[in-house]
Amino acid sequence: MSDESETDGGVVRETDARPFGLPRWVSLLLPLVLLAVVLGVFVVGSPLPETGGQPLPDVSITHTTIPDDETVVLHATNNGPDSVTISQVLVDEAYWNFEVRGAGGDRTLAPMESARVVLPYHWNPGWDLEAVLVLSDGATFHHAIVAPSETPGLTLDLLWTLALVGLFVGVIPVALGMLWFPAIRSMSDRWLHAILLFAVGVLGFLAVDAGFEALELAEQVPSAFEGTALVVLGVLGSLLLVQSVSAWRQGRAASGDSRASSGLWIAYLVALGIGLHNLAEGLAIGSSFALGRVSLGAFLVVGFMLHNVTEGPAVVAPVARGERPALGHFAALGVLAGAPVILGGWIGSLAYSPTLGAVFLAIGVGAILQVSWEIAGLVREGNGRLASATNMLAFLAGLAVMYVTDLFVAL
Amino acid sequence: MPSLGYERAGAVTARLEERLTDRLVGEQSVSRRTVLGSLGVAGSAALGLGSTRGSASAGHEDDEDHHGNFGAVDEYRDRDFDPHEFLRAFNTGRNGQDAVPQDVYEEDGRTVREFEFTAVDVPITIAPGVEFSAWAYNGQVPGPTIRAVEGDLIRVRFENFGRHGHTIHPHVKNVNPAMDGIPQNGPGVIDAGEDPFTYEWIAQPAGVHFYHCHSLPLKEHLHRGLYGAIIVDPDPERVRENPADYTNDHPSQITDALVEDMVAEAKTRNHEYDENDAVDEMVMVMNSFDTNFDGGNEVYAANTRAFAYGVGETDGKGNWKPGETKRPIQIDKTRRQRVYLVNATEFDLVNSFHTHSQFFDYYDHGTTLTPTHQTIDTVMQCQAQRGIVELDYSDHQPGLYMFHAHQSEFAELGWMSFFEVV
Ligand SMILES: [Cu+2]
Repeated sequence: MSDESETDGGVVRETDARPFGLPRWVSLLLPLVLLAVVLGVFVVGSPLPETGGQPLPDVSITHTTIPDDETVVLHATNNGPDSVTISQVLVDEAYWNFEVRGAGGDRTLAPMESARVVLPYHWNPGWDLEAVLVLSDGATFHHAIVAPSETPGLTLDLLWTLALVGLFVGVIPVALGMLWFPAIRSMSDRWLHAILLFAVGVLGFLAVDAGFEALELAEQVPSAFEGTALVVLGVLGSLLLVQSVSAWRQGRAASGDSRASSGLWIAYLVALGIGLHNLAEGLAIGSSFALGRVSLGAFLVVGFMLHNVTEGPAVVAPVARGERPALGHFAALGVLAGAPVILGGWIGSLAYSPTLGAVFLAIGVGAILQVSWEIAGLVREGNGRLASATNMLAFLAGLAVMYVTDLFVAL
Repeated sequence: MPSLGYERAGAVTARLEERLTDRLVGEQSVSRRTVLGSLGVAGSAALGLGSTRGSASAGHEDDEDHHGNFGAVDEYRDRDFDPHEFLRAFNTGRNGQDAVPQDVYEEDGRTVREFEFTAVDVPITIAPGVEFSAWAYNGQVPGPTIRAVEGDLIRVRFENFGRHGHTIHPHVKNVNPAMDGIPQNGPGVIDAGEDPFTYEWIAQPAGVHFYHCHSLPLKEHLHRGLYGAIIVDPDPERVRENPADYTNDHPSQITDALVEDMVAEAKTRNHEYDENDAVDEMVMVMNSFDTNFDGGNEVYAANTRAFAYGVGETDGKGNWKPGETKRPIQIDKTRRQRVYLVNATEFDLVNSFHTHSQFFDYYDHGTTLTPTHQTIDTVMQCQAQRGIVELDYSDHQPGLYMFHAHQSEFAELGWMSFFEVV
């Protein structure tokens, strides 16, 4: 696996040191300088013929917050290439007074600028509202506020509540799941591999689930930020990032670092991947709080606990062979995998936006994909046949268990 | 049915009623969301998780306890068209708006009132900050109000500066098909850049009428703003000679006293008689605008500008302030008030006019001198229907009296106004 011998270690080659007889730094800068010149000509001279047609205004209302029972706040972003002016606001087909905050004191949004449209409106809990922004040219942008309920503001109470929720749905189940460690340790290779494949099934389901959720959220992302592309970038980015960490670890192991070759590394990677996924999970919980959209009940908590308890064995399975790591490592693994629910909850409740949600979900997906790959490698290195009947059934069981527990957690 | 007595039937009915009211009350006080999550709420209580509602105040800067208030925010900045000016602007040929070239002269013993109309494409402001790409006669929506006396010749020289071909179709009794202002007859549509065409109509019958473009597609040419009012004043001499033409009463009911009353009423309606000066006359064209091309209106108004006759500012507690451009219509309670009301609303079947704390007499189409409805406070008009509303505020205390469309939707979308009685 070592590719150390194949690279030149970053040493400059001496061939063509002076292309066209120019110093090397000049040849590096030249294309950039020419690009600047061409761009300048384009901007100043606009050599293209008049193409006609006008860009249409495009405003998205990403979400609503409801700070109290007299106020509704619309979060709007201008996606278009031109400035837009919010001239009037309709609430349930009536012109309503409003204020635009965060757009520099006026009602005009520059391209990609966001602002809050504050409506003094005595809404009824649970009764849908339809808000419409009317631009200066009469274009309208609708937003349905489904079953409005008050958004809790930032209070210690809320932070404490979210920490408690995170503890219950994140840390505790993962820790409980890790208690399977002694049992896993005593298993034969065949069954250990089955458990690992079960873990891959769990992760695979999470990846698919979170991936679709990310794409769904991406539709709410203001189109100026290219939601779908952002999700793809997030998935690939985190996949490659975690992969590069892993490749670095393999490099170290090959050069004789015994710590790097232990299963503990993989356990940490798995914990990191699951932690990133749980961060997104926490974000979903926190943002539901922020949007007043959660009735956090026994079903939800029980669902999350069942869902997350299976993440425990996934974390500890890689260290089932060899020396048992110190207890401190178990604690660290548990915190890395479970605690991000709390962190995500806080972020989600404080700074909710569909963009943030989609990015976090995508990052989680990428990490999970890489980790699944890593576990598969672990099985192969343990001289196991990845696609044995037992393993395939275990993988399927992982998917199925996740599907069933996920039914409880439809936020 | 011997087994089902009245008593038992009554008991069953009562029980059903009770069940129904229980269910309705339950539904009102419990939100859908709570019903869906009721299991969950119980669960969270057991877990000791805090409520999701409560002491939230972050981000809320003022603590005023108000419910907010409907009405367009801000004043009108574009002063090209003023609904307050339009309200009492009558173009008689002798005097009228500066922007409407006009003349009056005799020809073959008949009074001729001549006007120059142009069609132009122009952006107009229909709510503060909201522009609408209108097609407009003489650059204004509604178009200039033409006023003539029964039997006069109305001559309108029409030139088109717009992008589309337009016409002027008058809702008067017109005996010459070439002057009907439709694409299929006479000159057809007058295209942009084409030689001007001169329409000629005899002003008849007395009443308040409508004119509009009749090009196709009809809906679009109408709702873009090509319409206005024609007022034909009754001629008192003709009323005395043909009283039966001016009332729905049967000829046998027409007494000398009624004729004298009708002649007197005709004089108050005729702008060439002194009696007319005692009446405060107003034109209100109820109209609407579809700003996003979805076949429904985003703005409703009397005379184009949403809430223009409303109050300028309100704190939502009944404290009103007149605005610079949005202000109530001030009226002198000692004078009789007459509203020439025309419905030019597009896309909705009917519009209406409703007065608060006041009843009025209504003359459908204004073609009679005796009311067609007496002592009503709401009248409904179909598209292109019009009529005369006569109001008397002499025994009212000074103050603000609301009037508006009693389609509450229209009212909250702009067709809401006030008389300020002084
Ligand atoms: Cu037309």
